[in-house]
Amino acid sequence: MNKPGILKTMLLLFLANYLESITAPAFIKIYVAIPLTFLVFSGLVYRSSKNINPIYAFCLGIFVDLISNSLFGLNAMLFCLFSYVINSYSNTFKLFSYLQICIFFGAASMFFIGLSNLFLAIENFSYLILFVSFFINSGFALLITMSPIYRLSIDRRLSEYD
Amino acid sequence: MARVAPSSSSKALYFLCILLGAILLYVDITYKSFDTIKNTYISTTISTKYLLKKLSIDPLIYIYEVSKSKSSLINKNKNLQEALDKSYLENFIITRSDKFFMDDKSILALMSQYEIDEVFHASKIKYFDTENYFCCDSHVMYIETISSTDKSLVGGAVINSRGILGQIISDSGIKEVLLLTDTTHYIPIESEEYFCNARGGGLPGIITCKYSSLIWTSPISKGQEFYSSGLGGIYPRGILIGYVKEITNLDDTNIQIDISLIANPIQKGMLGIIES
Repeated sequence: MNKPGILKTMLLLFLANYLESITAPAFIKIYVAIPLTFLVFSGLVYRSSKNINPIYAFCLGIFVDLISNSLFGLNAMLFCLFSYVINSYSNTFKLFSYLQICIFFGAASMFFIGLSNLFLAIENFSYLILFVSFFINSGFALLITMSPIYRLSIDRRLSEYD
Repeated sequence: MARVAPSSSSKALYFLCILLGAILLYVDITYKSFDTIKNTYISTTISTKYLLKKLSIDPLIYIYEVSKSKSSLINKNKNLQEALDKSYLENFIITRSDKFFMDDKSILALMSQYEIDEVFHASKIKYFDTENYFCCDSHVMYIETISSTDKSLVGGAVINSRGILGQIISDSGIKEVLLLTDTTHYIPIESEEYFCNARGGGLPGIITCKYSSLIWTSPISKGQEFYSSGLGGIYPRGILIGYVKEITNLDDTNIQIDISLIANPIQKGMLGIIES
């Protein structure tokens, strides 16, 4: 997958942030936090065929800080950090199974949630949320990852009937 | 194509960006330096939402509400129409039942009492100027038959449950009745051997007779009954007209008697027209 355009990426992040702002109040009641914006950004970096420029990640992070009304620099810093990690391990990921990659994204989400809670609302910091969110986000990432394979298998089966 | 791991310069850039992010974070936490930008963004978002809502959703809501109010008005109109129809129906039934239950038995009883075999038409008062009746000489009443008839009933006697009221002098759908008390009206009456043409005196409930004591020698007393004689063929014979109320000696031989009628046109609404 080629690196998506800046406007397309911003739109995707905007939509993800909007969706997150709607779903987060409902999910937090069951001790779940799904950082959709972060996951979308991570997914884009992971799927990109080229390395993401750190300034590009930084700018997107600032943009997310702005639209999510969080502290300036928090998302910028984390986006840079994770784009660096993903870029560094982009070739290593090829050796991993889907499950391992999903666990990685789950762990990354957990780290993101924990760090965000530390800065934004330390009184809401909860290990239970982190623990539950880790599994849920891993499962969510797995679901996203497996959906193209599932779709492909269906297409293959359908083509057998043609 | 394989992705190349970040080079040293790239790593340095990453480090710088992360450092910059951390500085921004520190500045924001400590000095809240970016609140203006955030507030501007929030206010812009709210304004844009409001503007977009006003431009897109509000017109649709307005159209929906207009259509809804229109359909509401249509429903209301429909309900009112139904209520009006129902009211018409109820009024129709009341009107019809009024005619249906209009009691003509009293007229039949009178006719049976006097053995009158002629056809009669049940009628009701259409218009009666009572003020004129009590003040003036002209005593007429307008009536209409309950069941429409094509026959001309001119000359027919009009009765109520007590007795004779008058006769029809014109019939153009609405019948004009000349009452017994009208000064131009005469009715032949009798009492025992005495006959006279009683004339209306222009007074309510009173007709008068004049006679010469040289012709009718028998004395007439107050309270004496007078009946229709049937002469002239207008009124049936033998119907009680009234009682002698007053006897006045006009001169040595001529006597006037005032007869109080028993049939009062303003007492009974149900009338009968006897075909002549």
